[in-house]
Amino acid sequence: MSPLVGVWLRTLLVQASFSFDRMIGVGTAWAIQPLLRDLPPDRYRQAMCRATQFFNAHPYLAGMAIGALARVEHQELPEDTIVRLRQALVSPLGSVGDKLIWAGLMPASVGVGLIVGALASPLAGAITFLVLYNTGHFTLRTWALREGWHNGRDVSRSLTARGIQRGLRLAGPAGALAVGLAIPIAGGWLARGFALQTKVSVALVAALAVALAQWILPSFRGLRFGVVAALVALLVGWLW
Amino acid sequence: MTDHFAWLLVWGTLVGLDLASVAQVMIARPFVAGTVAGILLGDPLAGGTVGMVLELFALDVLPVGVARYPDYGIGAVAAAATAAGSPGALGTGIAVCVGLVVAYVGELGIHVLREANTRDVRRHRAELDGGHLHAVRVLHLRGLLRDVVRSMTVSLIGLALAVAVYQWPLVTRAGAVLVTLVLIGASIGAAVSGVLQAVGRSAVLRWFGLGIVLGTIFVVVIQ
Repeated sequence: MSPLVGVWLRTLLVQASFSFDRMIGVGTAWAIQPLLRDLPPDRYRQAMCRATQFFNAHPYLAGMAIGALARVEHQELPEDTIVRLRQALVSPLGSVGDKLIWAGLMPASVGVGLIVGALASPLAGAITFLVLYNTGHFTLRTWALREGWHNGRDVSRSLTARGIQRGLRLAGPAGALAVGLAIPIAGGWLARGFALQTKVSVALVAALAVALAQWILPSFRGLRFGVVAALVALLVGWLW
Repeated sequence: MTDHFAWLLVWGTLVGLDLASVAQVMIARPFVAGTVAGILLGDPLAGGTVGMVLELFALDVLPVGVARYPDYGIGAVAAAATAAGSPGALGTGIAVCVGLVVAYVGELGIHVLREANTRDVRRHRAELDGGHLHAVRVLHLRGLLRDVVRSMTVSLIGLALAVAVYQWPLVTRAGAVLVTLVLIGASIGAAVSGVLQAVGRSAVLRWFGLGIVLGTIFVVVIQ
């Protein structure tokens, strides 16, 4: 197995040793190691030492930093240049990954999956989601590692490439549109078979949840609202 | 459910690992985790239904960095185990209650796991700063094993809760329907407020609004 394939596989586990001190620093060190093996012993030890320090990035783009840092270690650049490159990559790799994946690919794929799930079957929806999402996910992971390894210290060029910039422009709107479409369709499917007045009750609870989160208690949303709503409903249901 | 306990435990553990430690191919999304658990139990519709409700809750969350996020995936496995075999609306609400509780337990578990990892890293600071590969390997493997233990433990708690709720129903039929209605409404509200929080007043809000309008028209007119 080539070292680059080994590194790619290891990036799949890069968050396994996440800690509050070094975040994914230890995982990054474990992942980069196959690309550092052929360095002279002293250089290898120093490179591994640098690799274990604090690092954070979107996990799918961590490969870009790993590839770039391995390349500059082989080029024997001065230590402060390598450390600066490592520090400089944290913020953009996190920000680009969050915008592309968590605010774009993820909600877009979830939205499409929920729509297919409601209109066809839950299994079809789940498969559609997994295929859509992981096509983007694995393409990004592979591209990121390759770009990092090829470009080394000039890796920032990859983040400003036209494809990435276009992706960043489209990601937010695509995710928001898909989720916007999916919420009423999924809600309609979940409330299928209920009488109209029951569906109106469901809509009122939803409106109450939005109003609470938006204007009254912004921190009282999601899981917290769900748990409290469930407890109140259970209590009323138990007394009923 | 007890016939499929081992398979559900394995599936719950895999789902828990996928949340952050291993690959993140998103089998941890509640819609996927619940549907597969439903298939394992012979009731994919029940699994898909509770998975969809929990998925709407999960749209409120971005799994970013040190943010604490509920483990809705294992929650969906436990919810599917609760709902399987129950007729429609009767099982969904109570099952989603179980799913929400388990998701919260999973969230606490992630925090405990990361604190343990942090203590471990601090104990081995000298070896790490010396670039010792052995220390890196050991710490990484321990972190992974901790998440295996966390995922398996949360799955066990979830399945035990599912068995308990199945054997000792908390509410009457009418109460169960009420809980279902409230939680479907709450999940829709959570999804909408989560997206509104994420997009703020940016131009993306218009796309979300357009989606909501088109989706609503589709449900009202076409369906």
